Amino acid sequence: MRLLPALIAAVLAAPVAAEPVNGLPAPDFTATDADGKPVRLADLRGKTVVLEWTNSGCPFVRAHYDSGTMQARQREARGLGVVWLSINSGARGKQGHVDGAGARAEIAANKAAPSHYLLDADGRIGRLYAAKTTPHMFVIRPDGVLAYQGAIDDRPTAVEADAKAATPWALNAVKAVLAGKAPAPAVTRPYGCSVKYAG
Amino acid sequence: MIRRLITALALLLAPVTAHAQAVSEQPHTRVELIAASRTPAAGQMLEVGIELTPRAGWHTYWKNPGDAGAPTRVDWRLPAGTPAPADLAYPVPGTLVVSGLMNHVYEKANVLTTRIAVPAGLAAGSAFPLKVQVDWLVCSHEQCVPEQALLSLPLTVGTGTPDAAMAPRLAAAAAALPKPLAATATWALAGKRFVLAVPMAGLDKVKSAWFFPEGDLVITHVTPQQVTRAGDNLRIETDAASPGPEGAVAGVLRVEMADGPPLGFAITANQGQVPAAGSPLASSGSSDAGGGEPGLALVLLGAVLGGLILNVMPCVFPILSLKALALARGNVGAGEARAEALAYTAGVVLVVTALGGIVLALRAAGSQVGWAFQLQDPRVIAFLLLLVTGIALNLAGLFEITLSTGNLGQDKARSGGASGAFFTGALAAFVATPCTGPFMAGALGAALVLPTFQALSVFAGLGLGLALPFLLIGFVPALRQRLPRPGAWMVRLRAILSVPMFLTALALAWVLGQQVGVNGMAIGLAGALGFGLFLWWLGARQHGGKSLALPGLASLATLVAAVALMPTAAPAAGGQTAAASELDAVKFTPAALAGLRQQNKPVFLYMTADWCLTCKVNEKGAMADPRVAEAFKAKGITVMEGDWTRSDPAISAWLAEHKRAGVPVYVYYDAGGGETELPQILTADLLTSLKA
Repeated sequence: MRLLPALIAAVLAAPVAAEPVNGLPAPDFTATDADGKPVRLADLRGKTVVLEWTNSGCPFVRAHYDSGTMQARQREARGLGVVWLSINSGARGKQGHVDGAGARAEIAANKAAPSHYLLDADGRIGRLYAAKTTPHMFVIRPDGVLAYQGAIDDRPTAVEADAKAATPWALNAVKAVLAGKAPAPAVTRPYGCSVKYAG
Repeated sequence: MIRRLITALALLLAPVTAHAQAVSEQPHTRVELIAASRTPAAGQMLEVGIELTPRAGWHTYWKNPGDAGAPTRVDWRLPAGTPAPADLAYPVPGTLVVSGLMNHVYEKANVLTTRIAVPAGLAAGSAFPLKVQVDWLVCSHEQCVPEQALLSLPLTVGTGTPDAAMAPRLAAAAAALPKPLAATATWALAGKRFVLAVPMAGLDKVKSAWFFPEGDLVITHVTPQQVTRAGDNLRIETDAASPGPEGAVAGVLRVEMADGPPLGFAITANQGQVPAAGSPLASSGSSDAGGGEPGLALVLLGAVLGGLILNVMPCVFPILSLKALALARGNVGAGEARAEALAYTAGVVLVVTALGGIVLALRAAGSQVGWAFQLQDPRVIAFLLLLVTGIALNLAGLFEITLSTGNLGQDKARSGGASGAFFTGALAAFVATPCTGPFMAGALGAALVLPTFQALSVFAGLGLGLALPFLLIGFVPALRQRLPRPGAWMVRLRAILSVPMFLTALALAWVLGQQVGVNGMAIGLAGALGFGLFLWWLGARQHGGKSLALPGLASLATLVAAVALMPTAAPAAGGQTAAASELDAVKFTPAALAGLRQQNKPVFLYMTADWCLTCKVNEKGAMADPRVAEAFKAKGITVMEGDWTRSDPAISAWLAEHKRAGVPVYVYYDAGGGETELPQILTADLLTSLKA
């Protein structure tokens, strides 16, 4: 009898606990990118979308950018028609937080190639996807359904050599989706620094 | 000459470099390689360990680091012929939640151990140098830093004599490892919940427990774990990961004991049958208060006192006044007065204890309910609304009911006699639940963590307190004689007493609106109107001396229909209480609170519910004072509101943690990390004087 209100309360009270589920529609969001333009996930229907949580102060993220592997994967994916969204959920005053100018400087310094660099300082999108680490990766099918979530690769270290030599799970998931197959693995344990949320 | 100089230099440097290689001071961690013997014996196992000591404010990770982080990795470089040692054994970890993410960590020195098989046939006196590359992640709340070191320890093959300095440290490290559990643990999935049952002795000493899974996709790490005693099992329930576990589930169970250091068990659970939720842990209280838990006697005293104060609450007082009037009729003999007093007491105690028993039973079944939980159901509010309206109309003189058609306890009360007194008591107790008063909260909160029998006795104590005034009147004739003589004033007083009762009805209608929206409130009010009209008809027939069966049945049917038709779904979510918007309050979530406290921001947290009258009085009174809003703003105090009007597991968990059975609760967290619980009756002066 109290089940429905209890459920509603539980859903409202614990946004972090509501983790997205593969095979279900990925939660929609609208965010502002580094150039101040709004980007809405629903508008990208028809394309495979990659979400990459990033924080330039995190050693795990650094290993992927300093080794050049992250940029290479971004270019490879975009070459296949994929939309790549780098998302920064670092709260104001916390490690890795950037504003639009900071994000543009970061992209230039890394020679990075995301389709958009989304600013999520209030952590809204991060909480929506229960993004836990940087990097934390999600791959969304052209029909808007979540296909992969978890680690970027199979080597949970902050070592550049590992980033280069690892099996790129997230990129493999993108290729599987493009080939109309289900990624394997489809759920892995994300590794890295914790996302620096507010509060 | 030059050769001698080099030799001298080498001698000078040798011990320094050897020392520097066994210990490495990194910016955020000190790391050291230790071995149980400097002269390990050939053909035997040598205990070795890597001790990581994070600096204050930093932590290193368990093998499953939790939502973020990374385990420590080692790469052994051992003399030729030495087999690779087993994976590192980790000591029992602790939990650390940062921004809503769970970390399985060590915040102090921790030794990761393994054993090295020294090859047989090595000559005594030959060198046996240990070398290991260690990579680990060390994090603070703000950042993570990967650190690494190449450690080496020059050993010599010998007799295996334990090293006086290092062997005891390794023995202590072995003691800090989780112990294998002799019994077999079991896990099961119940919907999206993961339930683990661990057979264990000494359950009555368990204060709290936490299960750390080795695998990733077992549970959501950060979800609070509900721990109960189910028979001989420690039962842990939490959210399952998605997809959930399969096959055997391995992990470490950390158990905090009431008397002594925490225990750690390495468990492997098989899928199978698990028991239903059991009773709460016996002693989840803070043992650091010197005297420990407040004694049962003190808790009982609080309960009696709380019950006594309930008598003057607006929802109870009019009913009791009626009973007093009945006794004041003056034609009550001493024996009859005593019998009525006892019957009344029995009615109160029975209902309060029954409500308490239901709370305990539901909690044991895993439901996170508290005192007055029944008011979270709009149908109960609807029932109370009609009941209170009926009582108010009766007080106003609209109708009387004789015992033969009486279906309201209150009217039975007016008919006199022991059964009437019993029903008055039952009614008073039931109507009293929205009025949690001072002293009650502490006593009831304590009751929820006591063993069942003692908990029930606390509820009975509350009932006794509520019944105490009448018990006294019934048993002390002198008191009875002091009651005013009956007369025409009684009719007027009765009518006046209907006013607080009507106001209570108004408050209940408002609660109904908050719970189920304007449509639900309309149904409730329509029910109240219909009920009132039928009672009016009943009153009219009474005056005419006609049969009361028809209007009696009709009013009863209205009551049933109003309750049955009441929607139970909440209206569109959102919405804050008025106080919340005035004070710019943020919604309570454990993560948000933890975050603010980490940033050393002062927080005024209050737990409230629309059906809690004490809460509303504070929110309309002290908290609505403009000086309070100003003072809070000036001092940078964040106001956080937890609304328990509808059941909310996060708030229930917080209340349980603070040993509170219900709302209101007011807590002030200062910037220095201190936590002060404020009284349940707030004043504006108290709130403005809070120090940031």
